[in-house]
Amino acid sequence: MSEEKLENTSAEEAKTAALTAAPEAPAAKPDKPESTAKAEKKPDKPEKPAPLLTVTSSPHIRAADTSRSIMIDVLIALAPALIWAVYLFGFRALTMTLVSVLSCVAFELIYELIMRRPVTVLDCSACVTGVLLAFNLPAAAPLWLPVAGAFFAIVIVKQLFGGIGKNIVNPTLAARVFLFSWTSEMTTFTVPFAKLSPSAMTAELEADAVASATPMIALNAGSVPQESLLEMFLGIRPGVIGEVSVLLLLVGGIYLLIRKVITWHIPVAYILTVGVLSLLTAPAGNAIDYTLYQVMGGGIILGAVYMATDYTTSPVNNIARLIFGVGCGLLTFFIRRYGGYSEGVSFSILIMNLLVYYLDKFTRPKPYGKLRQNNPPKEAKGNG
Amino acid sequence: MALTFRGGLVMNEHKNTHGVQIERMPSPEKVVIPMSQHIGAPASPVVKAGDIVARGQIIGEIKGGLGCPVHASVSGRVKAISQIMLPTGRQSQAVEIESDGLDTDYEGLMPFSKRLGEATSEEIIDIVRAAGISGMGGATFPAYAKIQSAIGKAERLIVNCAECEPYITANHRLLLEDPAAVVNGAKILLKALSLRHADIAVTDNKMDAVRRLDKMLKGSELFEVTVLKTKYPQGDERQLILAITKQELPAGKLPADVGCVIFNAETCAAIFKAFQTGMPLIERIVTVDGDCVKTPKNVRVPIGTSFGDVLEYCGGTKKRISRLISGGPMMGTAVWDLSSPVMKGTSGILAFSDRAVRPYDQAPACIHCGRCLSVCPMHLMPTALASYSKIGRYDICAEYDAMSCVECGSCAYVCPGAVPITSYIRVAKDNLRAKAAAEKAAAEREKAVMAERQAAESRSESDKDKKEGKEGEK
Repeated sequence: MSEEKLENTSAEEAKTAALTAAPEAPAAKPDKPESTAKAEKKPDKPEKPAPLLTVTSSPHIRAADTSRSIMIDVLIALAPALIWAVYLFGFRALTMTLVSVLSCVAFELIYELIMRRPVTVLDCSACVTGVLLAFNLPAAAPLWLPVAGAFFAIVIVKQLFGGIGKNIVNPTLAARVFLFSWTSEMTTFTVPFAKLSPSAMTAELEADAVASATPMIALNAGSVPQESLLEMFLGIRPGVIGEVSVLLLLVGGIYLLIRKVITWHIPVAYILTVGVLSLLTAPAGNAIDYTLYQVMGGGIILGAVYMATDYTTSPVNNIARLIFGVGCGLLTFFIRRYGGYSEGVSFSILIMNLLVYYLDKFTRPKPYGKLRQNNPPKEAKGNG
Repeated sequence: MALTFRGGLVMNEHKNTHGVQIERMPSPEKVVIPMSQHIGAPASPVVKAGDIVARGQIIGEIKGGLGCPVHASVSGRVKAISQIMLPTGRQSQAVEIESDGLDTDYEGLMPFSKRLGEATSEEIIDIVRAAGISGMGGATFPAYAKIQSAIGKAERLIVNCAECEPYITANHRLLLEDPAAVVNGAKILLKALSLRHADIAVTDNKMDAVRRLDKMLKGSELFEVTVLKTKYPQGDERQLILAITKQELPAGKLPADVGCVIFNAETCAAIFKAFQTGMPLIERIVTVDGDCVKTPKNVRVPIGTSFGDVLEYCGGTKKRISRLISGGPMMGTAVWDLSSPVMKGTSGILAFSDRAVRPYDQAPACIHCGRCLSVCPMHLMPTALASYSKIGRYDICAEYDAMSCVECGSCAYVCPGAVPITSYIRVAKDNLRAKAAAEKAAAEREKAVMAERQAAESRSESDKDKKEGKEGEK
């Protein structure tokens, strides 16, 4: 708390310190004790001068949105997809999510307590990381998986870089890539309507509850997925917890757009790029179907709407956001098409995360009343 | 289609008092009139303790240079000439006048006797200067100087009725209740500037005022009522020029350089009053609002009345005041004391409780959401400026055009991470200004040293010459 106060004052010091410290002269004038006392509601000692009021530098009012309210909006947007996952895979999906959220919050709290930093768990950003992490895991994965992922996401990726707003790459996706070290746990998918009990384990899964392949694997193997396009859209297919229902993810995305939490630039640029490239390179046959499978399959919708738009790891300029989205789309397409992985969303977003600083710098808006500058500002060096 | 600019804030405007008629506040028992209420040199008092003064009598005059004379706003006896600290933190002399409650007008006041068509620019400027009129929108630039600097340069006059600050409705009420004063004041300005066109710029949250003006100005060739989209900070001269003329005001230039001259609506009305009655600027309309005020009002207040007296006139306060703001909530100054006087630039008195101000309850942390960029009317990167200012890299702030910042506060207003961005940028600007001043001083010192050295060299050379000359003589 003391640090919070420091933070606040440090910037306003220059303006306010002089004011708060100096003005004994005007305060010590008890010329109108009655009126000042009345206005200040201090009728007990009218002969004493009224206490000084707090001064701060302008602006004196603030918008209602806070980091917390934004994070809660994201949680609300993710809720339909989570409910669907519970319906589709059983309560096991909820167990996974809860374990993930609780361990994210716990790691953040523990780290901040140990390091004596201001405790920021109330901003709910760890909750969002937790939900998104669970969304990236199969419903029947062992429960230590989200705990390990939460440690990596919160401690290694987020806190070691300075906490909220300071991390360079998306914590959730970095954790997901980290968890790929356990490939079989990460890729044992549950068939739809498996109705897993809250405590089911991968090893205990009945053989018929394990999906042979997700649509993406089938698609990359050159065959048509067994799910229809409608099933893909509604989310009746195997996959990780959060990626299955395109419809509900889009509903959440529209909520975020309406609440102005995200802008359209990244998701639209991302999805359109993948769509157009898929259409252009579709194998002979039904190109439209192929494109739609590509766009709805895998985690593109989840990635484009919820991961690539993560504030901290995405650009602040709209033009940079478009470039960022196109970059993610290109990388996803190339990884899927030419790489060894059937899924490229995580890698492409992580790679683009690394370029955010430069994207922002080179797309700097032209200040009002200035001539367009050709050379962007110098890089921050030295004691920064 | 309402005109507008890129960026800016659409916010809850809290224009609670837009339907409340302006009331004239009776003269308080005492006024404290600061000598420095405007940009430029402070006035020097021409009265002394014990003098009897009347309303409109000059009490402070300008001895050369830019500035505005100051007049008594009540009739009564000068109690003292004291030193006070203004809300900006600057010291100023102030004349304390005890009101006799009679409000007698100074007899020397004369209405302008000629017809406007026969008045010359110089006459108009003289009257505006003598009436002590400074810009009443908040910047308080002496009006006569603005007219002088715009003559021959400006092609259009813009009457600024945007009033983009939340809560403040003083201009709105003025336009509704006395549009003729504003229009006539603008006519005087047109005459002084020898112009034939004025835009009355009103935002579309004041359509009732727009309709009144339209009705009044039907068929007028001089005036055009320009409707602007309601957005903060539309009232800033740069955004006004952009919205109306579609061109940007280059950094470091004055509006006159792009052919515009901008006057606030109330300034126009004050100019008209000075011509009509001869009464100088001794009172102004103040919006009194905020959740602590019992009955929010628009009040015509004598200059020098204390904030406490004005609040009391509005029924007093109903909650504990957390911030007392002079001006609007976005760019106004917080004052620490209820005895602060109303000045020529005080458009509002806002008393806020903690609930309205919402003090920061979280550790400030930028989450990189980019909202500050989308609202910045100057198209800067406030988040970058704040970050670099925080670590003391003011040089990088300069490259990110920190000096272009107009400190409108939009960035800090929207920041969900509770970063006091505007304050950080102010710190950077102050440091950059100090550095520039230091460099200039150093350069001048060096120049002086060089000059001295040269002088010394030439002296010694001439000495040598003399010596040589003497030797030669021998």
